[in-house]
Amino acid sequence: MKRTSILAVLTLFAIPVLAQSAKPVDVTVKHVNDRRTTGHFANLTITIELPKIHSTDVAAWRALLTSATDDSGRDLVERGDQEPQLETYQQMGMPGKDAPPEPVSLRLQLRNPERKATTVKEVTGALELYMPSKDPNSTAELPKFLSLAGKPLAHKALKANGVEIAFVTPAQIDAEKKRLGAAKRKEALAEGLEGEGLDQYIASYLENVISLEESDLAARIKDPNNRIHEIAYVDASGDVKHVSSRSNETGLTILSTWGEKPQPDWKLRVSMKTPKNLARYSFALADVNLP
Amino acid sequence: MRAFARRSPLLGIMVSLALTAGGQSGVKVEIDEVVDNRMSEGPMTGGLELRVKLSGSGLDRVTAARLLVKDARDDGGNALGKQSGPDDFTPREYNSGTLSVSLPSPKRTATAARVKGTVELFVPARDPSAVVKIDKGLAKLDAPLSAKALKAAKVSITPLSPAGYAALMKARKVTPEDIEKIRARGKAEGVPEKEIELAIGLAQAFDSMDAEPPEGTVLLSGKEGDFDRIFRVDVLGADGKPVDMTMRSTSTRGEDSIMTLQPSQPLPANAALQITLLTDKARMSVPFELNVPLP
Repeated sequence: MKRTSILAVLTLFAIPVLAQSAKPVDVTVKHVNDRRTTGHFANLTITIELPKIHSTDVAAWRALLTSATDDSGRDLVERGDQEPQLETYQQMGMPGKDAPPEPVSLRLQLRNPERKATTVKEVTGALELYMPSKDPNSTAELPKFLSLAGKPLAHKALKANGVEIAFVTPAQIDAEKKRLGAAKRKEALAEGLEGEGLDQYIASYLENVISLEESDLAARIKDPNNRIHEIAYVDASGDVKHVSSRSNETGLTILSTWGEKPQPDWKLRVSMKTPKNLARYSFALADVNLP
Repeated sequence: MRAFARRSPLLGIMVSLALTAGGQSGVKVEIDEVVDNRMSEGPMTGGLELRVKLSGSGLDRVTAARLLVKDARDDGGNALGKQSGPDDFTPREYNSGTLSVSLPSPKRTATAARVKGTVELFVPARDPSAVVKIDKGLAKLDAPLSAKALKAAKVSITPLSPAGYAALMKARKVTPEDIEKIRARGKAEGVPEKEIELAIGLAQAFDSMDAEPPEGTVLLSGKEGDFDRIFRVDVLGADGKPVDMTMRSTSTRGEDSIMTLQPSQPLPANAALQITLLTDKARMSVPFELNVPLP
């Protein structure tokens, strides 16, 4: 187990951030897994613990690695085209009622070192932690939200974050389809399409553009500051239903549970990133022994 | 190496030749994938996992196979230790016919490993006694199955009634004495207190999972050693073909095992049981030696 000293690291790359500048954080290496294979899923995973941050405070996280090398000089940073997104923090089991809070434990994914390497010489970067409890405007919860369709949702946390959400009623969707259909028809006529072929073309277009499953809801969402972290539903018993969202060319966002149809007694939960709840910490590891 | 099959003359001889001639056996063992899963010290352990594929003629007669490693060393001459995990026969239709074996990870400084052993092939067609059919096998419950071939193989299996199963499960319950035995054994072996309590918790958790099986479940009891000599148990439908099972499991406590089969459809009143035995005559060993470049 290696305890590393605090090292402030200057992040050299531009990151669109809400978080303030990175503060250094204590990091302890808990486990190292070098999975070497001739097949798939080859990687080096270093599990680190942040002793001063409780796991119950963290809802999501991401690592932004600046550098990582083994003692042979091999670059271990997986450099993709896009920077990593926040991922949900998975709690390690349920803490006992009177048990002290567990420290947050994170898994850094790197490329395999050389087989001949014996240590990871250094890993530097930043850890971004999404901690909703740090800001009262982190979450907007709206009970029985289905009854609020057709008008913008009113909530102080939505307002504080500049987020506007309005669920669309079936009548509004029909009106939208009429508007889109008419516009498309005009375009198609100008291109010489007519008769049955034109009708089929318009029907097919509308089916592609606005097609809702039973478990889908359509909403107009404005989030100019990119604050929305996650949208979920909560049923009457408190079970959280994860929601995936996709936008289409009409400006509507389709929210789907891919299964259960939202019920009248369900609650809408919008989790948002704010300057107060998104913390960025710099960290550095040195001379991590390889198994 | 034994002759392959005496009963089906032409095909038997051909397969025999294919399996016994040419490169000693005709069956080749080739590396398909190597995973060296290296972990720092802790409760989880990694290892060197080798997945191999078999090739050669005659394999279509092989029902199942397994790898038995006799010696594994890295290129520095260091022995890797024994293979871990179950060494059961793997049906040929599983995992595209590949076989896997786990060994302790070699040293980090190693670049290759040499693995020697045998691949055991299970070919029921080589032994007429390997497949035992018992007509009306489920007609008489709570009494051992009666069949000459089972007796010859020293295998005793008893189909259970729901009442017989309930009585057996009651007798298998984890008692305070059992818990004390686990604790004493753990202490004697120097296992940390926390891990002993974890083991006791697991034993109690498994105990509480013993639920009443659904109606129509086929329940067979016997000694673990007897079940080890069985490759497969089938229940034959009215058409004489094996009935699909939605679930198969075997639980063992001490020396006693219970096999649970849940049929996908109601069984005919006089269903026959078909037990495929891993007899010596139905098995053949083919030596292999692999040079494994380490990733």
